[in-house]
Amino acid sequence: MVDDVLRLKLALLGSAFRPGATLARTLAVVVLGLAVGAAIILLALEVDVRLAGHRAGLVIVASALAIALAVAPLSAGLGSALEPRRFASFPIPPRTLARGLGAAGAVGLPGLLAAVLGIGLELAWAGTPTAPAAIVAGVLGAAAVILVSQHLVAIGAQLAASPAARRLVTGVARAVIVLALAVAATTVIVVQSGAEDDTLQAIAATLAATPVGLVWAAPEGEPALLLVRLLGGAVMVGVLVVGWGWLVARLVEAPQRTRSSAPAHGLGWFDLVPATPAGVIAARSLLYWWRDARYRVVVLALPVVPALMMLAFGAAGAPLPPLWLVPLPVLALFLGWFVHNDAAYDHTALWLHVAAPVPGAADRWGRCVPPLLLGVPLVLALAPLFALWSGVEGVLPALVGVSIGLLLTGLGVSSVASAIGAYPAARPGAGPFDQPPMLGVRAGWAQAIALLATILFMAPALVVAIGGFAQPAWFAVAGVAGAATGLGMLLLGIVIGGRAFRRRAPELLDLVLRT
Amino acid sequence: MVLEVRGLRKSFGGTVAVDDASFTVRRGSIFGFVGPNGAGKTTTLSIITGLLRPDAGQVVVGGTDVWREPTTAKRKLGVLPDRMRLFDRLTGAQMLYYAAVLHGLDRSAARSRIDDLAVALGLDGSLDRPVRDYSVGMVKKISLAAALIHSPSVLVLDEPFESVDPVSTAQAVDLLTRFAAAGGTVVLSSHNMDLVERVCDSVAVIVAGRVLAAGTLDEVRAGSSLEDRFVELAGGRVAVEGLEWLTTFSD
Repeated sequence: MVDDVLRLKLALLGSAFRPGATLARTLAVVVLGLAVGAAIILLALEVDVRLAGHRAGLVIVASALAIALAVAPLSAGLGSALEPRRFASFPIPPRTLARGLGAAGAVGLPGLLAAVLGIGLELAWAGTPTAPAAIVAGVLGAAAVILVSQHLVAIGAQLAASPAARRLVTGVARAVIVLALAVAATTVIVVQSGAEDDTLQAIAATLAATPVGLVWAAPEGEPALLLVRLLGGAVMVGVLVVGWGWLVARLVEAPQRTRSSAPAHGLGWFDLVPATPAGVIAARSLLYWWRDARYRVVVLALPVVPALMMLAFGAAGAPLPPLWLVPLPVLALFLGWFVHNDAAYDHTALWLHVAAPVPGAADRWGRCVPPLLLGVPLVLALAPLFALWSGVEGVLPALVGVSIGLLLTGLGVSSVASAIGAYPAARPGAGPFDQPPMLGVRAGWAQAIALLATILFMAPALVVAIGGFAQPAWFAVAGVAGAATGLGMLLLGIVIGGRAFRRRAPELLDLVLRT
Repeated sequence: MVLEVRGLRKSFGGTVAVDDASFTVRRGSIFGFVGPNGAGKTTTLSIITGLLRPDAGQVVVGGTDVWREPTTAKRKLGVLPDRMRLFDRLTGAQMLYYAAVLHGLDRSAARSRIDDLAVALGLDGSLDRPVRDYSVGMVKKISLAAALIHSPSVLVLDEPFESVDPVSTAQAVDLLTRFAAAGGTVVLSSHNMDLVERVCDSVAVIVAGRVLAAGTLDEVRAGSSLEDRFVELAGGRVAVEGLEWLTTFSD
């Protein structure tokens, strides 16, 4: 029986390599997997466990990778996942099935990488007195990762009864992987700089106290602590094994998935917003940001632009810590700027706004809600972190104020621009990189002017903020000035843009009709 | 007179799409707007509903000039344009709710009207599906519901029955007849002469941007059938010549 499940798993793996649409994705995943595996081995050989900072980094990186690997099977979609429910109709004893599925979980890229991670731990500690403990810890860690991923697949498949839920599970898993890899990469960079040993050790100590980092931290402990951690790891694996058997038995006996029936004509996000024109336009706009590839690609690209800018500055020889002040304002600027052609994105569906007595300001407000909901929390959450990393004393108020100011000013400018400077946009349902056939110079002008106008309006606050590097007291002034400029420009933009939209609505409709 | 159209003119580049079009529509009537392809029906109806700015002319709906006071006029108008998208990622119910709230309805009124319209137009099984999954006929039906939801006094429908199945057409025609009997006014365009003859009480024929005949159905058809009269106004039947090969069947 165990053989059969393993053979099935191998056949599934083989099928991913059949020529077809999925082959490119398979190869990309394999390349990513190999890169991660190679990175683990290289880092394990590089790390020097005699240094406290390196030891802490080892625990953090291993924990992050363990989390990424545990959710990895979910990220491939649950379409052909080997999960217990699928075997419910066959006369297989649950215990045998649990063993077979557990073994099958170890086969495949995530299982392989979990093993590599375990081996990495052993390599890192090789030649030290705790090397034997590291071997035990590595085995326990790899086993735990594989078992947790099996639990997650089974539970995920049980929850993801609808296509939307399935997409959500896959999306969350991918986001977790990206985040975990980013944490691992950041940790490696910070460890190499050797600047933040205390912070690293604090984080590592916290992780070591949780199941996530327990076994990865085991080899660095005093003999007593080491024993406790290894025992803890063994107990954890034991619980996972018993839990796996129980879960499989339960799922096989009650294979029906629960899917609560949707309430009659549920309105989704429209139930959550006020029943006003601005409210429903905001809800509709949010829905499009969430579902439409043209918006989603921008949301995904947003972190990339600042990262590239940092790399460029870094390559040009700028010192790293103050560069942490670059990403947030740039991100805020682009998020605000992005909606400068939003009306054209509706394409001819815009007629609904033109044919109804919608106040222009309501249209503008509604369209500003998604970038505001995305941008403001992002700035507030990340600014303290980036301000800390920059090492510039007292810079936080300026960073928050200027970023918020750029976002709001950008939205204000965009509110006007999308009414008076609209240009043809890709149709709804088009691919994220599709361009309309007749873009023209108008598009270039509109894009450039919207960007320049935003920077120009924010110039005073930006100048004051730069002055803060010489005289830190200016940072607070810059923060207030930035936020105030943003608020004023947003309100002004919505009023002016609203009037322009009402006046030029038929012309906007004419523009989208001709594309 | 609930709708007065005077001297409308619109050209795109060098082409004149609507040339001095004038007609009036009585309150409570169902007014059919007929014409061959490219005659300017859609252009005229778009101008009437405030979607397309005319080069010259005036449109007055219930005493309000559509192009002078668009906001007041648009409260009175219900619109179903031809060949325009809906926000098709919304579900049918969301789409109707959106249209309702944009026209100023509150939550509970919007919800109860959605339910009523869904039953009246046979949409109730499909309201939770995204509009993009609808067939062309279904999109027409949901658009009609969206045009009706704020109980406008004048409905302007561009090709409302194109691709709609006979059962749904009958349902919709019933609905429009009741709407007109209660004092509402319907302006609709169609290629289907039988349907126009059956449903409408007044008609305008537009050819090459000019309104060639307008009035009650009996005035316009002047004794013959609407279809014959329409073909005559549109330039008459062209004798088919030079297609002899079409009658020499290949087998």
